[in-house]
Amino acid sequence: MPGYDRVELTAELTVVPSSEAKSSPPREQVEAAIRTAGDSGLAREAGPEVTVLIGGRREVLEATMKVVEAALDAGAHAVKVRVEAQGEAERFGRGS
Amino acid sequence: MTIEQTTPPAVPTRERSRTPVQTPGKVGEHTERADGVSKVRGDFEYSSDLWMDGMLWGATLRSPHPHAKVWSIDASGAEAMPGVRAVLTHEDVPGRKVYGMEVPDQPVLAWERVRYQGEAVAIVAADHPETARRALEKIAVEYELLDPLTDPEEAMEEDAPQLHLSGNVLKRIKILHGDVAVAEESADVVVTGDYEVGMQDQAFLGPESGLAVPDGRGGVDLYISTQWLHVDQDQIAASLGLEPEQVRLTLSGVGGAFGGREDLSIQIHACMLALDTGRPVKMMYNREESFYGHVHRHPCKMRYEHGATRSGELLYVRVRLVFDGGAYASSSNAVCTNAATFACGPYDVPNAQIESHMIYTNNPPCGAMRGFGAVQVCFAHEAQMDKLARELGMDPLELRLKNAMRPGIKFPFGQEVPQPAPVKEILERVRDMPLPEEEEVVGRDLRRLPGGVSNVTHGEGVRCGVGYAVGYKNIGFSAGFDDYSTARVALSVEDGEPLVQVHTAAAEVGQGLITIEAQIARTELGVERVAVLQADTGVGSAGSTSASRQTYVTGAAVKQACEAVRDRVFEKVRDEYGEEELTIEGGDVVSGGEILVSLAELLSGEEIEETVEYHHGATEPLDERGQGNAHLQFAFAAHRALVEVDAELGLIRVVEIATAQDVGKAMNPQALEGQIEGGIAQGLGLALLEEVQIKAGKIQNASFTDYLIPTILDMPSVRAEILELADPEAPYGLKGVGEPPTIASTPAIVAALRDATGQELARVPVKPEQIVGIAEKPPNEPPQPGSRGYSGIGRLDERRET
Repeated sequence: MPGYDRVELTAELTVVPSSEAKSSPPREQVEAAIRTAGDSGLAREAGPEVTVLIGGRREVLEATMKVVEAALDAGAHAVKVRVEAQGEAERFGRGS
Repeated sequence: MTIEQTTPPAVPTRERSRTPVQTPGKVGEHTERADGVSKVRGDFEYSSDLWMDGMLWGATLRSPHPHAKVWSIDASGAEAMPGVRAVLTHEDVPGRKVYGMEVPDQPVLAWERVRYQGEAVAIVAADHPETARRALEKIAVEYELLDPLTDPEEAMEEDAPQLHLSGNVLKRIKILHGDVAVAEESADVVVTGDYEVGMQDQAFLGPESGLAVPDGRGGVDLYISTQWLHVDQDQIAASLGLEPEQVRLTLSGVGGAFGGREDLSIQIHACMLALDTGRPVKMMYNREESFYGHVHRHPCKMRYEHGATRSGELLYVRVRLVFDGGAYASSSNAVCTNAATFACGPYDVPNAQIESHMIYTNNPPCGAMRGFGAVQVCFAHEAQMDKLARELGMDPLELRLKNAMRPGIKFPFGQEVPQPAPVKEILERVRDMPLPEEEEVVGRDLRRLPGGVSNVTHGEGVRCGVGYAVGYKNIGFSAGFDDYSTARVALSVEDGEPLVQVHTAAAEVGQGLITIEAQIARTELGVERVAVLQADTGVGSAGSTSASRQTYVTGAAVKQACEAVRDRVFEKVRDEYGEEELTIEGGDVVSGGEILVSLAELLSGEEIEETVEYHHGATEPLDERGQGNAHLQFAFAAHRALVEVDAELGLIRVVEIATAQDVGKAMNPQALEGQIEGGIAQGLGLALLEEVQIKAGKIQNASFTDYLIPTILDMPSVRAEILELADPEAPYGLKGVGEPPTIASTPAIVAALRDATGQELARVPVKPEQIVGIAEKPPNEPPQPGSRGYSGIGRLDERRET
């Protein structure tokens, strides 16, 4: 019975580190984002240095904001974000 | 990367075989399955038989380690081999690099880390399958080995290594019903128990296979054996970076499924290779790879506590379930929820506290399998009922009857038990069925003794036992999912005879759906000739062939589409003849017993086509206390097992299984019989034989030589009684029938073994050492190599170490 507990929203985040940042070196900028993502309880790896947040709409969006802030605070140049409602998302009462 | 091609790309088309025309019986009549003869004769085209001129062969490089970092992948050796056309890694995944039905957490191809033995790392396309296999050996992967985390309890500890960014707990759910603390104080009798179910494999006979054909316009056609075409399509398209419309799937011959084909296996890989090379690519796992290439039934450890009055009235049940989800999520979230909702069994339990945990480990990923969470808990709650009966000095069947669930009460998850819920009736049916005539054991044909022709007993030391169990499960998707199916039905005239064509995306996986669809069309449109077209994504989603749901949901869609076609026929007749009371019989439109017009004449070359999307009744997700109207329909089955045991050697013969099952409506009695017998075989397998054995995260028995499934010699005779208590909400009143036979057959067999041996038997599959009573306390002096003629090869466990 797949799918009935399918996540409502996914947000894929890719940190674009800055080599010129004074606050921390590039690797630490990525690590800061990954740490914050992990703390959200919603994160999985989705590629080399790509993180995906999964779950209900509100919790994913709130966590996304925190991860972006953590990356920028650490000196990252940018964070690419792709937010996607999973297929037939409105059919699910809540995320996992 | 792609290696330069020396041959032109094949034309990406594949001719469809002509759809066979059936002449089925009506709903409720014995009807031979349309694909039966061709399957028995070996003429049926399974997905492993797919072929296109110019096609390449794909192969997958898998991690030999259950947990490791990947430092580098060097494909140059493989790329240099003659006949190799492409070697692809995670860098070549054009879209999303992870997939998953519920949670996208599984890499299409691993990048920095592998989390289970068998995880896909690279794929190859070559001119010949042997070339592809050899090319895999030339890919150099540098691993740094990590300690595998294989115990879910250890994985739940705070300082455990984290397998995923947010930890190792995939899902936790609690169901709180009534007040267990208060009920506990009133209990006269309390029994507790720890139970365990091993990892079972679906053991479908046709390993994963399929053919991907590039369309020359950036898209791809995939011919595949699967359970849900549209959910595959969504995941494949996301990882290929294409629109779903560019990825078209056609169901190919499926050699069994049982849940094991719900997750992706070769799908994305074959499409990547086909798009990369511009050539059709076929992929086909062998049996060993199949064990690594699909999910299995979740192993589960269960702690139960039942409290009751002295007279045997259940007061409360406390449950803790810990599932090993393996490395990736698959459909584990839903299994976790399902198990929690059915944890107390089909009984009136006024107070319950249930917690269910789904944990990531470095074991093989687990997911859907026939019974979907209900199997594990049924083994435990039925063992508990027997234990409680012993403690109370009651007959175990009487205890079950006393507490049997009935319509109008509440399930522990708050939903009202709907009509019909004949738990008492099916238990009484199995109780009242006569036992087979007793046969003297001494002097009996060896084939009818435990151990069979191994000639280990001639009747001495053989004991008999009888056990009962009852189980239930939801039918259809649950917890707020808007479950639906789509059917397109067309009525036309071919060769002067009316013909109905039925087109859905519902996967026929061997259960007989295409016959049922034809029966429904025959019944609703009164036309004898019906063609059920090959399922594909050219029509809307039919949902998955799982949760015993297709006859209900797709059956309803076909029924409604037929009704819509019939309405248009009648409209046409009324326009011309003005009659009101119309029926279609034998290809003619009839009114008041008089033929008004034949369909052939009426349609005169015209085709009437209707497409219907059928949605079943709404369900709700569970709230924070685990309460809600979560499920659509419930199906119940009871089993009685009669066993004979050679108590000295722990060998078992299941003599007979008697069963009673409520099916609502026996749509095709012949197919129903097959479902019941097949489900019991799978339940017997879990009880006695089937376990994927894992040691330090590695599968020890990835073959049908070492992973044992029941054969005809293991199968007992089956005595079945069918109840047809209509569900007023369902088409024809039917209930799903595929899973219930599997659920309670396992605990019934184990209950019979307990009856015969007096052993606790808290784990399945039951092993001979448990029967003999040496599983927990092995003999002081284990047999030494050489003592029984094995000195040359050493002990089995030592051989496995090497």
